[in-house]
Amino acid sequence: MDHFPTSWGRPRNDAVDNFNTYPLHQRAQHGKDTFAEGVQRTQQPIVTGTSVLAIKYKDGIMMAADTLASYGSLARFKSVQRLHAVGRTTVLGASGDMSDFQYLQGMLDELVTDEFTAGDGNEFAPQEVHEYLARVMYARRSKMNPLWNALLVGGVRDGKSFLGYVDLLGTTYQASTLATGYGAHIALPLLRQAVETREDTLAEEEAKRVLTESMRVLFYRDARSLNKFQIAKVTETGVDISEPIVLDTHWSFAEGIRGYGAQTQ
Amino acid sequence: MTSIGTGYDLSASTYSPDGRIFQVEYANKAVENSGTAIGLRVKDGIVLAVEKIIHSKLLVPDANRRIQSIDKHIGLATSGFQADGRHLASHARGEATSYREWYRSPAPVKEVVSRLSMYVQAYTLYSSVRPFGVSTIVGGVDNAGPHLFVVEPSGVAYGYHGAAVGKGRQLAKTEIEKLKLVELSTREAVVEAARIIYLVHDDQKEKEFELEMTWIGDETNGLHLPVPKDLHTEAERKAKDALENFE
Amino acid sequence: MPDGSFSHPQERQFNPYTENGGTILAIAGADFSVVAGDTRQSEGYSIQTRYAPKVHKLTDRAVLAVNGFAADGNMFVKKVKQRLEWYRHAHAKDMPLRAIARLIQTMLYGQRFFPYYVYNILGGIEEDGTGAIYSFDPVGSYERETCRAAGAAMALVQPFLDNQIYFKNQQAPADSPHPVHLPLQDVLSIVIDSFTSATERHIEVGDGLEIYVILAKGRSAQGLESIRNVQEMSTNPEGDRVFVIRRELKKD
Repeated sequence: MDHFPTSWGRPRNDAVDNFNTYPLHQRAQHGKDTFAEGVQRTQQPIVTGTSVLAIKYKDGIMMAADTLASYGSLARFKSVQRLHAVGRTTVLGASGDMSDFQYLQGMLDELVTDEFTAGDGNEFAPQEVHEYLARVMYARRSKMNPLWNALLVGGVRDGKSFLGYVDLLGTTYQASTLATGYGAHIALPLLRQAVETREDTLAEEEAKRVLTESMRVLFYRDARSLNKFQIAKVTETGVDISEPIVLDTHWSFAEGIRGYGAQTQ
Repeated sequence: MTSIGTGYDLSASTYSPDGRIFQVEYANKAVENSGTAIGLRVKDGIVLAVEKIIHSKLLVPDANRRIQSIDKHIGLATSGFQADGRHLASHARGEATSYREWYRSPAPVKEVVSRLSMYVQAYTLYSSVRPFGVSTIVGGVDNAGPHLFVVEPSGVAYGYHGAAVGKGRQLAKTEIEKLKLVELSTREAVVEAARIIYLVHDDQKEKEFELEMTWIGDETNGLHLPVPKDLHTEAERKAKDALENFE
Repeated sequence: MPDGSFSHPQERQFNPYTENGGTILAIAGADFSVVAGDTRQSEGYSIQTRYAPKVHKLTDRAVLAVNGFAADGNMFVKKVKQRLEWYRHAHAKDMPLRAIARLIQTMLYGQRFFPYYVYNILGGIEEDGTGAIYSFDPVGSYERETCRAAGAAMALVQPFLDNQIYFKNQQAPADSPHPVHLPLQDVLSIVIDSFTSATERHIEVGDGLEIYVILAKGRSAQGLESIRNVQEMSTNPEGDRVFVIRRELKKD
């Protein structure tokens, strides 16, 4: 045992010890935990969905996700729905592991059915669905057995629209524009530019156009995306998830780029 | 009931010498004394209606419902001991939920009914328990269309076009037989159901009653829901009119 | 390797923590306390939202600022509030500040081997009517202080506070010694300057600022009315009072 108390027991990392309370060369190695091999419950995502986008607009919220479920870099399932209605007020969009998402769908369906059969006419508000999911996700991360998803929850209740995010760590937040995964880098700036400060005036057609164009940009830039996607709309009258929309795309520009098109040399 | 008092009626696990289980028959008596419940299976759905006797003016209107939801697409009306009815509904909900968990799809009505009837039947086998004092009308619309069943205290479950249990069942059945159920829409059936409940109610002997009605069909998007207020009021008005003409 | 194995050890463990940026700070006066935090929540270079409050009112005389891993922070605040509610049900009064401080230490230490990855600063009014600040590390070590900054820009803000509040490296003139406590106006200026400066130099700080001011019972709210965007949060204007001041910070 050395004389630096900070080196005792499990090593810390930069994020915690950013003032170098012990010398660099003394810093313990990562991944040398004696028990790391003992329990195998930590996982990695297998079949995954990419970005989900969502915005607020005049009549409620809109959410978009493509229909691809990838197996690593393989485009494995090309017609998977990643938007799910929870009752009549809420829609859930999922990126990350698709089997974990299907597990969540089953869980939420049971929750909604139980609430229906209670027969008192109560339905869950989007905020309540979001809070419930946050609790589930946080509880699972705390058991070191996470549900490997980043989820968007959106809906309308009593004239107020709601958009929230939850991920595998149980991290939550709300904003008028949200995006998961690659979309948080590529599409979110576009969405913010179009939506922020205009949440209460943005028309349905404009909202749909903004999402469609963002999905197009994502398709060109995200290798794990597809030009086939769905848009969910939640207004005071309920949830409406569209049939898949297929974008026409143009690759002629690629002909001139070396290593992109069908060059022979 | 000639064998009453012969000692064969104390346990559900003992037959009488002529092959009857008196405890089950007594359970049926509990049903016969209770407010009438009817169910109609029509062209595009199901209508359930109950004559809920109000034994005290202090009761909150619309409370203590006797028609309950088992799943989004299945409703259940009971006649007999209310507490037994709630217990059976709770069990049926568990079965419907379990089916959803296993198969990721809504349970077929007859599956729920068959599981429920097995549960009811188990309470006719042991000396340590009493059979359920309710007859249960289960109605639902699944992907094979509308279905209507009655589960009796013995555990038997029959499918019906129209069903009636409780005090006024005889007259109700006679009236239901006059209907052309396969041609009726749920909207029309609601009016008929209200009329029948009002007809069988004996206002000489009985106290006040509340008409409780639910339906499942195309108009409810396949959901088991209470009949909307305006339709309920209209059906009730027509029922009262019909009653005056009938007498 | 060709067989799919790795020649180097791979990081396979799920990491249950992340950092969500932001900064909090608190300063105690003689008969008041100020607790402040920015409202940006981020992960890496991405701003997740521009408004996720980090400062929470617990009672009419206690305010808690929580910084670090947001999911842990939210859960921790939820549990502290729950314990305070139980205390209210049992004792028909709010828990005193120093008791809340000890409760927080107990709750944090209870998770000693799977810590809440959060830095807490508790500010408010003690039972003797003095302003007080308590600061905590993630596993519950705590002490009462006069001022404290924590979070992403702690290294930028704390030295500034040391200089301005504790008068470190300042030589007082012989005839006028340094004051022990600063007046509210001066404290508010220092808080606002701290955050505008941190916003300027730290990418994880910005968007919005929420400053909670807790005034001891009987102290006049004079000086607060003139400030724009003040909102009173207390339930009883006769006791200790809580106000919140909201300001915009740069969003870049």
